[in-house]
Amino acid sequence: MTRIGVFTTDSHLVIQVWDAALVQLTGITEETASGKVVTALLPDLEERGLLKCLQRSLNDGVVEVLAPAFHHYLIPCAPATPAKHFDKMQQRVTIAPLRDDDSIAGLIVTVEDVTERLERERELATPMLEALSDDDWRVRREAVQEASRRAAPEAIAALLNSVVENHHNPALLNSALQVLAAASEVDTLSPLVELLHGPNPDLRMQAALALGEQRDVRAVEALVKALQDDDTNVRYHAIEALGKLKAVEAVDALVEIAESRDFFLSFVALDALAKIGDPRIVSRIVPLLDDDLLRDPAINLLGQLGDESAVAPLTALLNTPIAPTDTIADALATLSDRYEQQFGEAGYIADLTSHEISPTGVQNLLDALETPGKENLRSIALVLGWLKSPSVDRALTRLMGRVDLRNEIIEALVRHGSSTIDLLISQLIAEDLEVRRSAVVALGRIGDSSAVPAVVNTLNDESLAVDAANALAQIGDPSAVDGLLNLIGSDDASIRQAAVSALNSVIPPSMSGRIIPLLHDSDPNVRESAVKIAGYFGYPEAASALVELSRDPNERVKCAAIEHLPYVEDERAFDVLMHAIKDETPSVRAAVARALGVMDTPEVVQPLIEGLSDDDVWVRYFSARALGRRRSSDAVEALGRVIENEKFNHVRIAALDSLGQIGGDRIAGIVSGLVKHDDPDVAHAAQLALGKSNISRAKAQRRKEDL
Amino acid sequence: MVSRSHDLALPEGTTTLIRNLINERTGMFFDNGKSDLLIDKLSPLVIERGFTSYLDYYYLLKYDTAANTEWQDVMNALSVQETYFWREIDQIKALVQTLVPQWHARNPHSTLRIWSAACATGEEPLTIAMALNEAGWFEKVPIEIFASDASSKALARAEAGVYRDRAFRNLPAHLRDRYFDAEGSCSRVKNELHSRVKWKLANLIDEGQIAPLANADFIFCRNVFIYFSESAIGRVVRSFSRFMRPPGYLFVGAAESLLRLTTDFNLTEIDDAFVYAKRERAQ
Repeated sequence: MTRIGVFTTDSHLVIQVWDAALVQLTGITEETASGKVVTALLPDLEERGLLKCLQRSLNDGVVEVLAPAFHHYLIPCAPATPAKHFDKMQQRVTIAPLRDDDSIAGLIVTVEDVTERLERERELATPMLEALSDDDWRVRREAVQEASRRAAPEAIAALLNSVVENHHNPALLNSALQVLAAASEVDTLSPLVELLHGPNPDLRMQAALALGEQRDVRAVEALVKALQDDDTNVRYHAIEALGKLKAVEAVDALVEIAESRDFFLSFVALDALAKIGDPRIVSRIVPLLDDDLLRDPAINLLGQLGDESAVAPLTALLNTPIAPTDTIADALATLSDRYEQQFGEAGYIADLTSHEISPTGVQNLLDALETPGKENLRSIALVLGWLKSPSVDRALTRLMGRVDLRNEIIEALVRHGSSTIDLLISQLIAEDLEVRRSAVVALGRIGDSSAVPAVVNTLNDESLAVDAANALAQIGDPSAVDGLLNLIGSDDASIRQAAVSALNSVIPPSMSGRIIPLLHDSDPNVRESAVKIAGYFGYPEAASALVELSRDPNERVKCAAIEHLPYVEDERAFDVLMHAIKDETPSVRAAVARALGVMDTPEVVQPLIEGLSDDDVWVRYFSARALGRRRSSDAVEALGRVIENEKFNHVRIAALDSLGQIGGDRIAGIVSGLVKHDDPDVAHAAQLALGKSNISRAKAQRRKEDL
Repeated sequence: MVSRSHDLALPEGTTTLIRNLINERTGMFFDNGKSDLLIDKLSPLVIERGFTSYLDYYYLLKYDTAANTEWQDVMNALSVQETYFWREIDQIKALVQTLVPQWHARNPHSTLRIWSAACATGEEPLTIAMALNEAGWFEKVPIEIFASDASSKALARAEAGVYRDRAFRNLPAHLRDRYFDAEGSCSRVKNELHSRVKWKLANLIDEGQIAPLANADFIFCRNVFIYFSESAIGRVVRSFSRFMRPPGYLFVGAAESLLRLTTDFNLTEIDDAFVYAKRERAQ
């Protein structure tokens, strides 16, 4: 007979439950064990290496199984009946965390006496034993599965007995079932449903609780029946379990419970309905907004599940003097976020709210915004942003320093458009950098030229220069050119880059006369920026200067000139690049590789293939990328060699990307071996390349068929 | 003419790749709402390296064997250095008025060790040193205060010990007068106080770096976990627990809670402050 005893501990490993089966198995009485630290009762645990198993389960929440073949026993005691091969009882031990909500409150340990079985196995040297030690893992797996199948019914019976004995311990049932699930593939549904229909209300309650935890939808029918249980606690846990199981079948019954306005049950029913997420219930939830106790969960539910028809009742409640403003704002924000995500229509919820809201509603939101110490203002700021009024704009402007609200506030002020420009300009001199930053970003987004002089003034503020340049780029007014040109010599690379990008947006192409002389400036920063602008516009009159600058003593200027040479379309470009590719500086050779990638001539392919063997990893990387841009089938073999031999995975990825771009019949054979590569980035690149090559093959096939 | 944009390219999916890599290496986590901020903060580094795509920069961070110094720049770009003296002082008062006396009663001949695990520009460890000095503890007990941060830039400022006015917005005036000297528009911490603190560069996610520092009686790790993912917080807190001296107290910021993430510590209220006490295991 298989016998299982159970004990539990708290988080300090102090024994809490020591059940009757364990008393019988070990001879240690409950009085002796209970209240004692495990290591006091079993002093050699650490020495035998078993304490760490208990601690691991306690700390990491893992289930530990101590196999008798290896550990022999946890609790030293004599076998129940004399054994030929063992002087101590052989035990199979499972240690599992005892959970209390999300934390680990202790351990549940099951101790199974397997002495008889081991004795029998040794005696008979059964085929099972042979199979368990078979060299072939498939044979061993079969044997293990067979062994656990045979042990399971007895194990579950013993465990459930233990549960019945200790049903005052609410976490025990769940943990006991967890142990069974870990130890074998036992179906725990039937015994739990039996418990749910049993005579003991405590056990019925725990069964409902456990059925919710088990996430097995076959329990729904029994749980719906349990909604009629005489005991309120059983009904409570059945409701909760149905929520966890997302039981759409239970929706009507749960709405009825919610409508009963029994606070104890209605509250949890609303929570379960939120989890189930069936939007058909919304119209039946609206009347609960009148109930002081159920109002907040009803509001949340409308936000979570409602559609546009929920806006009017929510806003009507917001318009009352004692509205729960934060909760309603959260619900409206949730609704709007969902509409944006599903339909790209947040604006619809905004318009409906704006149409329904009264001055009292607006004031409630403004008051909520001013409540001191409040951390999460996102929903209130968002809803306020839907309402256009000077007092709202002023209130939002006061929050512009809040980084967490920046998006909502900027969106709102941008939506309110030119009427907010003066307010925003006044914030450009605020003490708080975040306020100044939000103001400049909003002015850029609004895009009104009247803000240009004020924004240009902020270009001198180093911490704001990048945002200001970006804003000027968005406004796109040429009057910003002088201010931006003052920044192209900045020592800060991001400020220079922002100024160059902005100039590319605002400068008229005809203004080459302002840029060309800057190519000869004594400041290398200015020369580099001027190269980028000249290259962007492709000024033909800049070609000679760019050729000259490709030999500039400053490395950054040299690289910029090399990279932008192809854009001015000068016939000297290729020769210049071929000269530069011999440069001893890797960054210059990498710039050449990037430049070759955008040149529209087949001559670039061979030097790029040679670049794949460069000593510098980044030259190889950019050469591989450039070959993809060229889509040259002549490069397939060389890229295949990169995939096979390259030391660095990013070069391999670049080669894979390029092979995908090139396409053709040969690609699949080269890349398919990498789709299960250890590095997920390589595997992903291989899958993409394979996909692209399939598409290009299909297209080629279609073209053939069309012909 | 070939047309092109000067803006940095951000191929689809790259933000997630960068975000996850940064989470893995630093613990910092930028959720979807903050990923724009992450990309913004990295842009100067991408430009400085001469790249035109964030994807190239991601590969640099992930694969280039020479990327160690680049990671330091990333930490400098991402770390939040806005803090001030006498911030969340209730916890430091609880340390000085209750926990240190208790500790001293139990360990009359030992050296007290305190670690400020994310000291940014140094205001927190210097506040601790000030509070201990005001209570006369340096005369009674040998005390070591270690302070570390993952940002070399922040640490360099901490080691320089020069602060602008905003750092003093909470510090009582008489303490500013006692521990700082005016230096132009700034103030410099006096050497007697500054030398009480030993400064170290350490990434909290790197157990090898933090093990020697976490061998402390009290750890302050405040206003850091708000930037970390749950898994990174769990990892760091488990390391603290592993290396802390028993009984061990951990101070986190007022807006941070470890209750969902660890069973290694008990939350206790000492005076008016919440402190996590390392759970003493049954032996």
